[in-house]
Amino acid sequence: MPFEIPKTAYSGKIREITLGKGDKAVTVGGESAYPFYLFEGQMPNLPRIAMEVYDMPPEDWAEAALEPFADVANDPVAWAQKCIKDYGAEMICLQLLSTDPNGENRPADEATAVVKKVADAIDVPLIVWGTANHDKDTEVLRAVAEAVQDKSLILGPVEEADHKKIGAAAIGYKHVVIASTPIDINLAKQLNILLGNLGVPDDLLVIDPTVSGVGYGIEYCYSVMERMRMAALTQQDTKLQFPIICNIAKETWKTKEAKTKDDPKLGNAKKRGILLEALSATILLMAGADVLIMRHPDAIKLVREMITDLTAK
Amino acid sequence: MILIGENLNVISKTLGPALKDRNAGPIQQMAKEETAAGIDLIDLNIGPARRGGDELMAWVVETVQSVTDKMLSLDTTNMDAMEAGMKVRQGKVLMNSISLQSSRIDRGLEMAQKHNADLIGLLWSNDGMPRDVNERAMHTVDFLYKASQAGIPNERIWIDPIASPVSVEINQVKACVEFMGMLGDIAPGCKSTVGLSNISNGAPSDLRCWLNRTYLIMLMRYGLYSAIVDAFDKDLMAISRGQRPDIVELVHKMMDGEKPDIASLPKEMQNYARTVRVLMGESLYSHSWLEV
Repeated sequence: MPFEIPKTAYSGKIREITLGKGDKAVTVGGESAYPFYLFEGQMPNLPRIAMEVYDMPPEDWAEAALEPFADVANDPVAWAQKCIKDYGAEMICLQLLSTDPNGENRPADEATAVVKKVADAIDVPLIVWGTANHDKDTEVLRAVAEAVQDKSLILGPVEEADHKKIGAAAIGYKHVVIASTPIDINLAKQLNILLGNLGVPDDLLVIDPTVSGVGYGIEYCYSVMERMRMAALTQQDTKLQFPIICNIAKETWKTKEAKTKDDPKLGNAKKRGILLEALSATILLMAGADVLIMRHPDAIKLVREMITDLTAK
Repeated sequence: MILIGENLNVISKTLGPALKDRNAGPIQQMAKEETAAGIDLIDLNIGPARRGGDELMAWVVETVQSVTDKMLSLDTTNMDAMEAGMKVRQGKVLMNSISLQSSRIDRGLEMAQKHNADLIGLLWSNDGMPRDVNERAMHTVDFLYKASQAGIPNERIWIDPIASPVSVEINQVKACVEFMGMLGDIAPGCKSTVGLSNISNGAPSDLRCWLNRTYLIMLMRYGLYSAIVDAFDKDLMAISRGQRPDIVELVHKMMDGEKPDIASLPKEMQNYARTVRVLMGESLYSHSWLEV
């Protein structure tokens, strides 16, 4: 009897979502099989990488992480342009670190002006990421949604506590919502239901499952994302059939292991930080990430190579 | 179906302080209400009760047995408290519970034998919660072997395979049902019980009853003997007393693979059908599971 390789029975498909506008808009999602299971189904849109830009000069970053951006750290517009021009970024993620009420607490109007400047200076899709403070994010992201209404931004994190107000603004100005929940598949499904009830169209939603890096519980993130894909693809769970976005760069670079300088035991700091980021990102790709938010150009290069290798015919 | 009322509980906002202050009024009131609701046993849950648990359990047992003739279930992990309660108890008693942990089982079984008590055999071992149906089976065999050595027959043992919340790990929810189907073969004569409300832990409180009732019906299918339940859920009471064959039939048919057109059912039946799909792992749980 000839041997037959067992095949997963898929009954669902991830939605295709278009991010951004114009020539440089990207489409993500569309998978009809588990990540990189090209022998079982299609992955019509390869995972994309968004490069991080901060709206204030980073403090306390590992030397290796800052080095490529040292000349533009004061200027988010120049930073974003450098990512696109020098490193071929297909998307930018503007981290609104300055709005953190426990830090600089920059007011919404000032933050919005920065977002607008960056949005006007680039043509690739722009993700705008708040600080996960519900009140402040509501204030800032609503203002941003209105001020940059012609650009189709990707706004997050949108959590249960602030989903109504930010969601309404996103609906009004046709931005994509990043539905963010704390590493819990049931809560992720619930938030997607709530956003649907609110009126967020299915083609304007991506999932942020909340991720962490290697050594900090990435196994758990993997498992939650894996289960999301199982529900979406094999159980026709329409409320989980959305692309997944992973804000992984800051999770890896904030760790002690990424920040420790050259060390006899831990080795070369630059190589270590880059590998931590690249490995974490790769693991999330295997779990089903459609968009990775990344930082270091060398780590991004490694992950791009990995995607190319995994999808080689 | 034997029902054990869970409501006389130290975590209650009114009964907790009453237990602490030895205020018999609210405690006896609850015991009477559970009796009137038609419950078979009253669970006396005093919690871990690390300090003074023995004196507290003795007081609760005396307080409650003076107003009801129902069988009492003594619910504590403090074995001194358990023993103190059994000493003053006049009438039938269920020990809730004896786990497989080596620090507890020997003394627990000895006490059960000495006081001629029924006991809940909680399948919680030194390694914690059983991970799947096989570990549940293995722990059951271990438990019954030890009990038999202590001179306790299967008929006095109520095995609790541990129901875990639907939002935590669906495979555990399924394993508990699957195990119930095996218990009769593994342990002839043995009884069973389950802390039913655990299935809905974490769900919105006004919707928990749907999960509780549906899971009960699923376990009844495999001969569940008893359950620790909310004494005041009238629909649950009706189901377990055989007064809702329509619901039971729907749930059991779905367990056999029938797929009714859910949208065409009346709302009550829709809720049961949607809950079966969630509890069987066919549809992922979310707080809005009754709406999607």
